Amino acid sequence: MESLEALVAHIQGLSGSPEERAHLHGLLKQADGDSLRAHAAALVPFLAHLSPAAHSLGYLYLLEACVTSGANLSEFGGGDFLVTVADFLTSCSTDQIRLAPDKFLNVCRVLKDQVMQLNTPIRGIAPLRVAVRKIQASPEQLTPVHADYLLLCLLAKQYKAGLSVLEDDIFEVDQPKDLFLYCYYGGMIYIGLKKFAKALELLHNAVTAPMSSLNAIAVEAYKKYILVSLIQNGQVPSFPKYTSATAQRNLKNHAQIYVELSTCYGNGRYTELETFIESNAASFQSDNNLGLVKQVLSSMYKRNIQRLTQTYLTLSLEDIARSVQLDTPRDAEMHVLRMIEDGEIHATINQKDGMVSFHEDPEQYKSVEMVDHIDSSIQRLTALSKKLASIDENMACDPAYLLKTGRDRGGRFDYDDFDNAPHKYF
Amino acid sequence: MSAPSDHAAAAGQAAAPSSASAASSSSGLTFKLHPLVIVNVSDHYTRVKAQAACSGDGSSSSGAAPGQPPRVFGCVIGVQRGRTVEIFNSFELVLDPISGTLDRAFLEKKQELYKKVFPDFYVLGWYSTGSDVQETDMQIHKALMDVNESPVYLLLNPAINLSQKDLPVTIYESELHVIDGSPQLIFVRSNYTIETVEAERISVDHVAHLKPSDGGSAATQLAAHLTGIHSAIKMLNSRVRVIHQYLVAMQKGDIPLDNSLLRQVSSLVRRLPAMESQKFQDDFLMEYNDTLLMTYLAMFTNCSSTMNELVEKINTSYERPATRRGGRGAFM
Repeated sequence: MESLEALVAHIQGLSGSPEERAHLHGLLKQADGDSLRAHAAALVPFLAHLSPAAHSLGYLYLLEACVTSGANLSEFGGGDFLVTVADFLTSCSTDQIRLAPDKFLNVCRVLKDQVMQLNTPIRGIAPLRVAVRKIQASPEQLTPVHADYLLLCLLAKQYKAGLSVLEDDIFEVDQPKDLFLYCYYGGMIYIGLKKFAKALELLHNAVTAPMSSLNAIAVEAYKKYILVSLIQNGQVPSFPKYTSATAQRNLKNHAQIYVELSTCYGNGRYTELETFIESNAASFQSDNNLGLVKQVLSSMYKRNIQRLTQTYLTLSLEDIARSVQLDTPRDAEMHVLRMIEDGEIHATINQKDGMVSFHEDPEQYKSVEMVDHIDSSIQRLTALSKKLASIDENMACDPAYLLKTGRDRGGRFDYDDFDNAPHKYF
Repeated sequence: MSAPSDHAAAAGQAAAPSSASAASSSSGLTFKLHPLVIVNVSDHYTRVKAQAACSGDGSSSSGAAPGQPPRVFGCVIGVQRGRTVEIFNSFELVLDPISGTLDRAFLEKKQELYKKVFPDFYVLGWYSTGSDVQETDMQIHKALMDVNESPVYLLLNPAINLSQKDLPVTIYESELHVIDGSPQLIFVRSNYTIETVEAERISVDHVAHLKPSDGGSAATQLAAHLTGIHSAIKMLNSRVRVIHQYLVAMQKGDIPLDNSLLRQVSSLVRRLPAMESQKFQDDFLMEYNDTLLMTYLAMFTNCSSTMNELVEKINTSYERPATRRGGRGAFM
């Protein structure tokens, strides 16, 4: 066990080239462990000698020893320590920290805990955002830092900050818990930004993700999923084929009132829905979903007006008000106007005689922008299809799958199956 | 002393083909080649290559260098009428790798068999594969000279060269040329034409995918049609690029100005657009978008079906299903 000064000298000396760093990594691993943590208090002044950018690996080890030492971080001058960690996260070098990813994740976790403890989540947002990009091996990989980052964005009500992380499509996931948290928090951020379609996608992922046993995150996600799909689509779709069996059997039992809410919504009567919500307000409140439920209520009007477009070509404002159960034609006009602006229906209001005429989608598909739009969609779809084909191939070679299908056939060997075998055996 | 003279001949041969392969034959014979021969040779080559790839994994291959494609050998047979040599068919031969000579007994047996079926045909020469004539080829050529006093050598280049427009088949004759004071036999190139019988035309069409043998479902016909259009457009694109490069070079001053060519290019450019009006634009874009949407729909369906299969696979391997269709009972 070398002394701390020797270790620091090593760090400073050996952070140049990749071979030196590999050597340094070995040394650090030897020096790691409880002995380093025991010296945690002494480590802090040494940190000042090292530069986070050039000596990231060594800095990381020392820092991690400090933060996991169990000592109260405020001893290190809590606020300043936070700044140190934040600085490190922003300025560390990507190759070096990738040599010790779990330590890096530990440091990020501690930063998040500390920031939440101090009740200032906003301080953690910038460093964690940089950390997410640095630890990701590729933009399609999910890391635990994602979930922490999204949590801080939610607590700080900085929804737009979370968008940059949410925009990437995720294809690789290590820990299932990361996926669930990511989808749940991401869904909530999109709800906060009122982008219900994207929220629906993420919550859908959370609900249909493979799970062998029910977890609380999925239950909460399911409740929000019901509410958001009511707002967005007016109905809750049934579980698709790829939902896990556990989810299919158990989710509905845990979200009973929400299911009843959706059936009540389906009936289309505003007053019934209102009374139902009021009677169950307490349980909605305990789930922190009351705001969302109120939005469901207001979307009821929209749903009804949209239903009218399918039946009538023109309608007077009084008729609209009556069938949608609004109080005055003025309210009806306001609602219709808002929906036209949002692009949810195509209609024109004739103010002279108070008639609304509904139109077809005026898109003629005659423009060059449409060509670009469809073309880019096709490109995206081709890329996705390639990915799917490769995953499908991998699955076909998966031993679990082959075992199950082999067992199905009862172990008979048909010569047809071996048609593609190399003929050297013949 | 046959060995040194063979060496000398071989050494001379090594220098000669690179220069003589450009020379063309002066014998005045016209060669007609049937597609059956080409298909036979390429089939032979493909089979041997595939077998070598399979069996060469475990055992060390004898003779053939690893990574080198194997050479195949065989005889070509046909009819010679006057100055026209028509090559109808071919069969395979075995080359003894050690001595470098063909198996005579086998050759004679095969010749006898073919004579029974096709009394008119006799051995006109031999074939092999490779990218160029090699030194050992002359030995084989000379060995065949006792069967046919002037055999032909057909060489197929199996390397796939997409830019090449012609068939990769060359026909060589042997001629006595005086090189360095001594007369030597060297290979000279000859021209040939392709001659087809009706039966051959059908099979060549089939192989080239121009007319699918079952009359073609709509899908294969559409694919064939689109492939044709695609290759035509590709060719148009490359030609336009050539003109563009030429014009750029002219602009830079690398190539002297040629006004007549410039006039031609400008008249070509002015031919498009053929029609310019708002209604045309609208209709054109609408149809364009329609086709794109169809492609999009097709891609979608494709993706959905892949996704469906994937989900099935995942469900079978990792899920314990609630109900089992087929009633085989729960797995442990």
